[in-house]
Amino acid sequence: MTEHFSLQYRIANRKLAAAGVHPAVGYVLGLAVFVLVAELLFFKTPLAKYALLLAAVSVFLQWSDKNRTEFLRMTFGDATARRIRTAENLLLGLPFFLILVYHGAWAEAGLGVLGSVLLAQVSFQAPQHGVLPTPFRHRPFEFTVGFRTTFFMFPIAYTLTGIAVSVGNLNLGIFALLLVFLVTLTYYTKAEDVFFVWSYSCTPPQFLLGKLRTATWQAGLLAAPIVVGLLVFFPADWGFILTFLLIGYGFLWTMVLAKYAAYPREMNVPEGILFTLAIYFPPLLLALMPFFYYKSVKRLNTLLT
Amino acid sequence: MIQIKNLTKRYGSHTVLENVSMDFSAGHVYGIVGENGVGKTTLFRCIAGLEHYDGDITSDAPPLKNHLGLLLTEPFFLPKMTGEEYIRLLCHARGIRIIDLAHSNLFDLPLHQYATTYSTGMKKKLAITAILLQENKYFILDEPFNGVDIQSNIVLAAVIHRLKALGKVVILSSHIFSTLRDTCDEIHLLRKGEAPKTVLRPDFGALEAEMKAAVVGDKLEHFNLK
Repeated sequence: MTEHFSLQYRIANRKLAAAGVHPAVGYVLGLAVFVLVAELLFFKTPLAKYALLLAAVSVFLQWSDKNRTEFLRMTFGDATARRIRTAENLLLGLPFFLILVYHGAWAEAGLGVLGSVLLAQVSFQAPQHGVLPTPFRHRPFEFTVGFRTTFFMFPIAYTLTGIAVSVGNLNLGIFALLLVFLVTLTYYTKAEDVFFVWSYSCTPPQFLLGKLRTATWQAGLLAAPIVVGLLVFFPADWGFILTFLLIGYGFLWTMVLAKYAAYPREMNVPEGILFTLAIYFPPLLLALMPFFYYKSVKRLNTLLT
Repeated sequence: MIQIKNLTKRYGSHTVLENVSMDFSAGHVYGIVGENGVGKTTLFRCIAGLEHYDGDITSDAPPLKNHLGLLLTEPFFLPKMTGEEYIRLLCHARGIRIIDLAHSNLFDLPLHQYATTYSTGMKKKLAITAILLQENKYFILDEPFNGVDIQSNIVLAAVIHRLKALGKVVILSSHIFSTLRDTCDEIHLLRKGEAPKTVLRPDFGALEAEMKAAVVGDKLEHFNLK
């Protein structure tokens, strides 16, 4: 068990070093970004404790991959593998539990601990031959791949919108809208193999505009039920609703551009810091978008021209 | 047409390709052979523009990469993407709109399954199908026959002959000499520290014998195989 965690620690350090960040700085910054985002959530919405609990559970689910669990069982035996998975979940969940306790959400923190222990006992695997249909198959790939990974988030967002409408709470509806955009941002966190960019027969600006167009259209499809629902039931607040739609798009467009500004490496600390600053001060997006755009064009020039 | 003049590729102090010059004409199939590590894949990556190099690579339809179908030795696939979506993605990248994939499924692949669940051979067939549908002018096929079943190899050889008839430039590598003998008009033998040797079809037999002698030699005599 000690060897496993020691190895995981070394792998994490290598990843940070490969991203050009000293491991110690990476851990401190990662924790700082987590606390800032969590605090912002608590500041903006009373539903922050549920959002954090949901985020913790989704982390546990990611680590409950069947192949990974089987590898641990084969390597360490059943009993040790179970202990490893439980310790992993508790360790991963610790920042969530602590911040929930700090805000007095004892019940949610307790549920989180219980969930972490229970989910460590099970493993999941997506069916090998079952393919989840998506409305994006004619224009792969970010939303087709991303939707299949995060599909369970959309019923949650749409249910929250339904509750928002039924109790007349527009803020909850806006939260659901931003949740959809938050999920779509994760579709752009991983850098694809250079072959998939090299294959395009267009200039870097054309490539980026194509990516932005696709992101706009496909995110629009996912956000449409929420936006339409809110506009129908809160018509007086159309300006407020459309402002948040625009903010969601602003973050999505910036994310697309930030991805290719770092390409072919993955986004890391510098982009993360700028993004966090934009969460606190969204008008910053207006400066970040052209900044990332020019960096992206420069990066893509070597592959596309 | 693709023309390579004085191509040199170095990784740090290690020179992989030095002053390589070759011409590839339309309607011809070229084989690139050589021992492992001699620079075949590096040569392909240079032609594709995936590597920086010294020298000149030109084509009659610039930019070359926009008209090049590139089959990598181990094609890369994204998780949770079906075979059909992979084809659509690569065709969209070249501005090709595919409407009916049912009639374009050359190797009868299960296109509605995730490509990552395919066997090695099926993955290669999917990658070949995608670059064929891109309507390219030039093709680089790095080990196209490797890992593919015998029936599909027959289809693939027929496809290469059809590409030749259509006036395309086809450059391929293979570790199976018979596949080159069946498909190529010329073979370029890459050698470490020497200029590539060009062999025309009538001399393929001599080349095979020469390679066999150079590679096998009297090694088997000394191996004491029982």
